[in-house]
Amino acid sequence: MDKLKQIFGGDTRQLGMIFALVALILFFQWRTGGLTLKPENVINIFQGNSYILVMAIGMVLVIIAGHIDLSVGSVAAFVGISVAIAMRDWGLPWWGGILFGLAIGALVGAWQGFWVAVVGIPAFIVTLAGMLIFRGANQAVGKSLTVPVGKDFQVIGAGYLPEVGPNTGYNNLTLLLGLLLCAAIIGGTLRTRRNQSKIGAHLEAGWIVAVRIGLICVAIMAAAMLMASGRKGTSLPVSAIILGVLTLVYGFVATRTIIGRHVYAVGGNRQAAELSGVRSRRINFFVMMNMSVLAALGGMMFVARSNASGPFDGVGWELDVIAAVFIGGAAVSGGVGTVVGSVIGGLVMAVLNNGLQLLGVGADQTQIYKGLVLLIAVAFDVYNKSQGRRSIIGMLMKNSGGGGRAAAGDTEGVKQQA
Amino acid sequence: MRVVTKTMAVAAVAALALAGCGRSDDGGSGGGSGSGSGDKFPADSLIGVSLPQKTSENWVLAENLFNTDLKAAGFKPDVQFANGGVGEQQNQIQSMVTKGAKVIVVGAIDGSQLGTQLKAAKDSGAVVIAYDRLLLNTDAVDYYVAYDNFKVGVLQGNALLEGMAKKKPNGPYNIELFAGSPDDANAKVFFDGAMSVLKPKIDDGTLKVVSKQTDFKQVVTQGWKAENAQKRMDTLLSGNYSSAPIDGVLSPNDTLARAIITSTKAAGKPVPVVTGQDSEVESVKSIMAGEQYSTINKDTRNLVKATIEMIQAIQKGQEPKITDTKQYNNGVKVVPANLLEPLIVTKENAKEAYANDPTLSKLTN
Amino acid sequence: MSDNGTILEMNGISKTFPGVKALSDVTLAVRRGDVHAICGENGAGKSTLMKVLSGVHPHGSYEGEILFEGAPVEFRSIRDSEHAGIVIIHQELALIPELSIAENIFLGNEETRRGAIDWVATNNRARELLARVGLSEEPETPIKNIGVGKQQLVEIAKALSKQVKLLILDEPTAALNEEDSRHLLGLIRGLQARGITCIMISHKLNEIEEIADAITIIRDGKTVETLDARQGPVDEDRIIRGMVGRSLESRFPDHTPNIGETFFEVHDWTVAHPDVPERLVAKGSDFFVRRGEIVGFAGLMGSGRTELMRSLFGHSYGTFLKGRMVLNGKEARLRSVPAAIDAGIAYVTEDRKVLGLNLLDDIKTTTVSAKLKKIANRFVINERSERQSAEEYRKALRTKAPSIDYGVAKLSGGNQQKVVLSKWLFTDPDLLILDEPTRGIDVGAKFEIYGIIQRLADEGKGVIVVSSELPELLGISDRIYTISEGRITGVLDKGEADQETLMRLMTATSMKSRAAERAEAAQVAADTPDTTATDGHAEATAPEESAWTS
Repeated sequence: MDKLKQIFGGDTRQLGMIFALVALILFFQWRTGGLTLKPENVINIFQGNSYILVMAIGMVLVIIAGHIDLSVGSVAAFVGISVAIAMRDWGLPWWGGILFGLAIGALVGAWQGFWVAVVGIPAFIVTLAGMLIFRGANQAVGKSLTVPVGKDFQVIGAGYLPEVGPNTGYNNLTLLLGLLLCAAIIGGTLRTRRNQSKIGAHLEAGWIVAVRIGLICVAIMAAAMLMASGRKGTSLPVSAIILGVLTLVYGFVATRTIIGRHVYAVGGNRQAAELSGVRSRRINFFVMMNMSVLAALGGMMFVARSNASGPFDGVGWELDVIAAVFIGGAAVSGGVGTVVGSVIGGLVMAVLNNGLQLLGVGADQTQIYKGLVLLIAVAFDVYNKSQGRRSIIGMLMKNSGGGGRAAAGDTEGVKQQA
Repeated sequence: MRVVTKTMAVAAVAALALAGCGRSDDGGSGGGSGSGSGDKFPADSLIGVSLPQKTSENWVLAENLFNTDLKAAGFKPDVQFANGGVGEQQNQIQSMVTKGAKVIVVGAIDGSQLGTQLKAAKDSGAVVIAYDRLLLNTDAVDYYVAYDNFKVGVLQGNALLEGMAKKKPNGPYNIELFAGSPDDANAKVFFDGAMSVLKPKIDDGTLKVVSKQTDFKQVVTQGWKAENAQKRMDTLLSGNYSSAPIDGVLSPNDTLARAIITSTKAAGKPVPVVTGQDSEVESVKSIMAGEQYSTINKDTRNLVKATIEMIQAIQKGQEPKITDTKQYNNGVKVVPANLLEPLIVTKENAKEAYANDPTLSKLTN
Repeated sequence: MSDNGTILEMNGISKTFPGVKALSDVTLAVRRGDVHAICGENGAGKSTLMKVLSGVHPHGSYEGEILFEGAPVEFRSIRDSEHAGIVIIHQELALIPELSIAENIFLGNEETRRGAIDWVATNNRARELLARVGLSEEPETPIKNIGVGKQQLVEIAKALSKQVKLLILDEPTAALNEEDSRHLLGLIRGLQARGITCIMISHKLNEIEEIADAITIIRDGKTVETLDARQGPVDEDRIIRGMVGRSLESRFPDHTPNIGETFFEVHDWTVAHPDVPERLVAKGSDFFVRRGEIVGFAGLMGSGRTELMRSLFGHSYGTFLKGRMVLNGKEARLRSVPAAIDAGIAYVTEDRKVLGLNLLDDIKTTTVSAKLKKIANRFVINERSERQSAEEYRKALRTKAPSIDYGVAKLSGGNQQKVVLSKWLFTDPDLLILDEPTRGIDVGAKFEIYGIIQRLADEGKGVIVVSSELPELLGISDRIYTISEGRITGVLDKGEADQETLMRLMTATSMKSRAAERAEAAQVAADTPDTTATDGHAEATAPEESAWTS
């Protein structure tokens, strides 16, 4: 058992959220008679939720900084319709449409950031207004009609990697990506170990690292083979690749860059951050603007997946996005949360939704279960914190060495020292 | 980086067992070539039915009928509502594909936003039937089952003329036009059907649209919402009918018809001739009370029955009943359709029309 | 009745907070009808004692017994003590600004008739109560529309509405001007005439001398003595001696200062309150700091010492009106905190938990947080340098923690303060401003902090120490400025300073009226050219290499 803990990196409890996700997958795998882990279904889960998860990445930064954004659904819908119409009427190519959409997202974000950061109106109010404004803008621009988008554009929401190379019975590019990721992880770990030994830091036993990396690579390759073995023409979906890249990039930004540190500082204690030289207005502006850019991307991914932009796109998305972030361990009061945690939180919701649909559970009950899961996840966090422990995700990220940041502390309960 | 790696470490445990299962290039997915005519599948197969938001009695009734009648026919039904919107409906259809549904019946929230999922359904070999609402901009739809919506409009137009003639034998008549929600593909069809009757009369001066709003885009009712229709009617009345009488209003459905009647009553006007559709309980009451003039009976029972007959035919490898092969072009292909005849209902024929309906028959005595 | 005319007895009261013994065997006896003053330095335990008495710290969380009107009482909440007739008015007023005077008076104690609030009765009773405290305001007036002095009186009216027998006032005049203070003291006398006993905590010794019938002095959580003013007058010097009477030796490390040339000067520094533009929190302050010098700033709470320091630190408090700052021989215009940090100024805040730390952080992230670019390659933080730096400072300051990944929230006060010091030393400052650097820290850790301060001075840095603890200032400062009501009232060299002198300078109140002060503020504002036009770049030389990071 101890060895197991060492392999997984510290306390088993710290992996609570991931174990919950795995347990959920296994449960549904059993209940649905193996449908959950069918290649098509795994691909569907990613394709059907990537746009929400992309927005969750933006939302977690907003929530860490102590704000909230209620307008993401409306902004996504507004950008979606604008891009669809621009491509249809002005003949923009697909890449032009994406750039155009991101630019609109940036403008919308600058607008909201201005009110939050410069004028100082609470983000709740600004984005509540934004929710109305951009919903109206969506209907005004689209005249409440459904506007289709071209095949090229659909790739970012519904596309797959092409089939290249010999017929191996798998999608070759998906396998290649898996191999590259494994190589990167092995390389990265070796480099870290070299650095650690250089500065004389404590080194983990070689066999533990080897077993861990072995397991990781097996997992990656299993996932890659799973998704590569779907129906011919399918593979790891493009939307999942976008999500993966954004998760890595934003995970890095949040934990390893100055701006990321400042976001946590502003959310943790704004006054203290300001007195430490953090320009909190810039940070607030950045998180709000970034959120709208990602909402724009999410909106476009949805339009691509739907092959068309409709007048009711984005209704209620903010709730899914915010739920993902809170299940992922963020705190309402700010300062706490991780990008990876939010993506995992969103996946928990996605797997739950998918599993219940596979079981044929009605939409009414599905909503009840989703509500309960949100409540229980957050209650579990609150309970853990009241016991002086970190939030599940917080604990998870903490011991993973710079992987993330959450309420710091220790697991041995609140003990004030003299 | 290490966070991700750790995530993967756990996933490994779950995924280990799956490694090595290669792509299954075998059958089952080969037949997705367009027409579903050659398909034959076991009589106890899974049939997926994806319905839109649970917003009206008709959809609830359809849910019940699909569940019981598909079961009675020997199939395994999977009937789901998409209360959460288009995204949820997309995921539902994907789940049905995963579960191996042989036929997927889709009552779309937005007929043009399901292309990706329908393609996946097609690729898996399933037959896709558009139920009540046409699926647009996709070649992955095999059949369409619906009431003849153009006919609905024609009947509404005729009823409007007939009702006004009963009250006042000779024109000109002052009328206003209402259409449904622009995001519902059927709304335009209803309107076009009605205008095929009304347009000539407007042109020859028998009918006078006082507000001059005769274009579809001018007369739409966003989201089929009663409040929007009521607001528009209020505005029309105060702007155009302060002195002139209003004789008739073309309303695409019952909910809007009642909103229009409410608005005229509030303005102190006599209730004009108002058409409707759907045979909602409140509107049938209104018709019996002499307020709303007409509605349309598109009995959900018949529609579900026709759909299930179609499924049975497909299962046996027979050609299902098709009544129209020209009219319904979804932007990519012409969808073969089985169109059911709608029935116009006024106070005169209400008793016979609803004789088979347990709820409505009580209201017509 | 245990005794003829003793209303309250507190015997052997001890109260322990995690790691700190706040009260130890405190005894207090109050005669019926007296104004009984409680004196002591900040942190001596006065407020804790009053919280024990009023049930804020419930029975069972302390040791000892309380006798009220002769009978033992066990209060479990403020409601219990109010029920018995003991009402406490806290230093921070507990009034709701948006509600009316009458609503505030009867908050939680509403006049109702059949479940609904009876507004007629409420306003009538409120009017009576206001008359008793000498206010003629309409009961419907919102609290936010009346001044602080009158708000204090409303608090007393609220207490009267509760049939108070024993009224506790915690620093009632701290926020009031001279005129309002006089009025309040008069009112307390009036209450006394009606048989209401008052316990008053105050730092203003002249007021105590004037009004108190008895004075209990508390020091380090223990009762020192009770002086009876009815037996003969007690003067300020007598009280001060009681408050500070302890030896100062051995509390501070031995240190021989090595003072260089002046490198930091402030001239005519004038700052207005951020919300109340006519209130000046710094009035034409002039002072300087030399290299290697530890300069103390002595002032009571609310004297403007913190406001002055924060204003110097990149204008992070108040509205800057005028003044000049010279750093390393050059005029420095530091209009933002980042500019101040870059110029080599560090400010360690008075309130560690609210202003100084992000309690969600760990030691490592806190240590580097004020100058991330030092360990970053453009935007990306080098985690290796981060760990190395944090480890270095942890060792240098001997912060006691299992590792640099340990959360700061879990550290003791002394170690938290060391982490905050690490954070600021990491910015390589020339001038360190330390605001109450040892508040809430036990004696051992204080000694270590003093040692650190002295080492910093020996490295040639200038250090400003702001403190309300006079022994501390006398123990470590080379020179001490006194500050009162936003004005620097004196400067004393180490040799000539003693507590009595300092206390006198710190409590020196100007007799200027509010109106005159407002006129002065308006004058300053009119004289000052637009201060927002110029940009905020520091014009200071680069900070020198510090021994702390080498």
